[in-house]
Amino acid sequence: MAVIIEKMSKQIRYGDYLGVVRLKQKAVSYNDTIAFEHRHPRRYRLRPRDFYRLLTPYISVRFLDQARAVLPLVLFLTVFQIGVLQAPVQGWNSVLTGVLAVMGGLMFFMEGVKQGLMPFSEAIGYRLPGRSPMGAVLMVAFILGVAATFAEPAIGALKAAGSITRSDATPLLYALLHGQSHLLVLAVGLGVGLAVLVGMLRFIRGWSLKKLLVFTLMPALGLTAYIAFDPGLAPILGLAWDCGAITTGPVTVPLVLALGIGVSAAVGREDNPLSGFGIVTLASLFPAIAVMLLGIGLSWDGIPGNVAAAVPQHAGPSVFLGELPFLADILSALRAILPLVLILWLVQRFVLKEQTEQPRIIGYGVSLTIAGMALFSVGLDYGLVALGNQAGNLLPAAFARFSSVAGSPLFSYEIGVALVLLFAAFVGFGATMAEPALNAMGVTVQNLTDGAFRKDMLIRSVAAGVALGTTLGVVKVLFQLPIAAFLLPGYVLALMLTVLSSEEYVNLAWDSAGVTTGPVTVPLVLAMGLGLGETVGAEEGFGILAMASLGPIVSVLAVGQWINLRARWLTWVPRTSNA
Amino acid sequence: MRDEIIVLTDVVLITCIVQRGVADVVIKAAQRAGAQGATVFYARGTGIRQRRMGVLGVTVNAEKEVVYIVASTDQADRIFEKMYVAGNLDTPGMGMIYMTPVEKMATYVPPEIAVRLQEEND
Repeated sequence: MAVIIEKMSKQIRYGDYLGVVRLKQKAVSYNDTIAFEHRHPRRYRLRPRDFYRLLTPYISVRFLDQARAVLPLVLFLTVFQIGVLQAPVQGWNSVLTGVLAVMGGLMFFMEGVKQGLMPFSEAIGYRLPGRSPMGAVLMVAFILGVAATFAEPAIGALKAAGSITRSDATPLLYALLHGQSHLLVLAVGLGVGLAVLVGMLRFIRGWSLKKLLVFTLMPALGLTAYIAFDPGLAPILGLAWDCGAITTGPVTVPLVLALGIGVSAAVGREDNPLSGFGIVTLASLFPAIAVMLLGIGLSWDGIPGNVAAAVPQHAGPSVFLGELPFLADILSALRAILPLVLILWLVQRFVLKEQTEQPRIIGYGVSLTIAGMALFSVGLDYGLVALGNQAGNLLPAAFARFSSVAGSPLFSYEIGVALVLLFAAFVGFGATMAEPALNAMGVTVQNLTDGAFRKDMLIRSVAAGVALGTTLGVVKVLFQLPIAAFLLPGYVLALMLTVLSSEEYVNLAWDSAGVTTGPVTVPLVLAMGLGLGETVGAEEGFGILAMASLGPIVSVLAVGQWINLRARWLTWVPRTSNA
Repeated sequence: MRDEIIVLTDVVLITCIVQRGVADVVIKAAQRAGAQGATVFYARGTGIRQRRMGVLGVTVNAEKEVVYIVASTDQADRIFEKMYVAGNLDTPGMGMIYMTPVEKMATYVPPEIAVRLQEEND
């Protein structure tokens, strides 16, 4: 072969011969390019097709993420309503628009948080410990926690959800949700603030989450038991634990995680693989304690009776929505996000004494966050919650006589109740599989446990836990059982499993429980619970979320135990760390 | 045969840096053009050019994918071109591609091919 080449007078590139290289290459020196650009700094002129190429993946990827999260659930709800409950979806075009708005809103919101709020708080978390005394760090953490709670969209949903409570049957609950709702939000905010503070302390001091959990759960369970045996106080239990589940939503989780990652990186404990974890857990326990304490405090003051009389009878959700729902939603979004941004900016400007990097990107992120939140809440009212409400309202027709549904009960009592429970389990499972934050966490967990805890396994065990929890919660609402009968044994079981499990799985299980009850699950489950509660004449429909948040703790810890057992079975020693 | 390594020459490395999620498209194009395999890794980084894009700069994320493709010199230009087109690299912010010479590479070479090529060379 070498001989042949030597004899040829002319060499032709194989590529040229095949005619496969079609674009002519023109060589330009990089030196010249750089020099030219340096001399003439100016913006690039983008062609329309550049806009198209840049924007299509940017939008489609983000929109598809949300569509994947929301659509299966919407489909399930629709199919269930038409197929099982045999009722058409009312106002389907407004529902459809609403669902689209939810997906669009979530997309804007997530992107806004990622571009605007997260870089802000990560930078603060990273620089603050080095520049300021510990007191200032904790102070900032506390204030951020409180402010993030006010920004949480689900808090509003909770207030709307209180509409079926009556002042005569459950005076304290009514007072908390109507006259004293600012106190409720404040208590939750203080709880989250305290949780972030303690979480930061944990990073700085290197406490184990296990011990912290035991010390937090003891008083929480004690309070729960105390309240459960006081008939006047008992109704607030469901609300209290629901508050805990709700707070750890789409604003708080990324913000607090970013701050935590920053702080733990700065204090030099990044060798702990689960460094960002733990705060979310505390942020769902502390508010529950805070609300319980608030309830006890209010009852001591003898307020319930007075408040019930003094507060004008609100006409339910319409008051919450206001006359112009769009305007009201935009206003509440502004009210929620702007103070948070202001606090972040003040800390950066006056505590850290630093200029904001890339103010335009941050501005873009913040406006996206606000627009997304407004769109999300409008869509929630007209789409997801409307749909969930319809199904929830019609559900009892499966087993009980129901005036608005012809031929009800549609099924015999046992089958009907079974169908309702099945529905609850499916909604819990579907909504969890859809939760975007959980998906992201699954990837992290898979990496951190060296693949021992696979992502699918985490998501499935969390979803199964939520399904179980939702079902139990619905049982509570349907048969009007005391929530404490479920909460106390559940948390005791969780506590026992916690003591038995390794630190890694404890971090994982408790945090995944907090992450689960996110923007998709909360409104749906609340709507379902309230719809059911209203039609069976329950005093309140709270508690399902609390159960939905307890379920995954137990299921993930149990799966963790099983993995360890199996690992020992395979004589493979798992990596344990005493972080 | 264990006492020798078959070393392949006439090799180039094509490195393509694209936005996260685009690597699959680029690799598919490269494989259609004859690339034997590809390695992808996740990376972070930005260039200064996205700042000159105005508002659209936000569509360019720091998260990137880096594609390594080792190709024979005969195929290289074709693969290079197809990847460039598939990745829309003529749009600012979409990434870049470069080709570097590789002194030698070694991997599994089917024994019968190795034997025949050696005979032809001798």
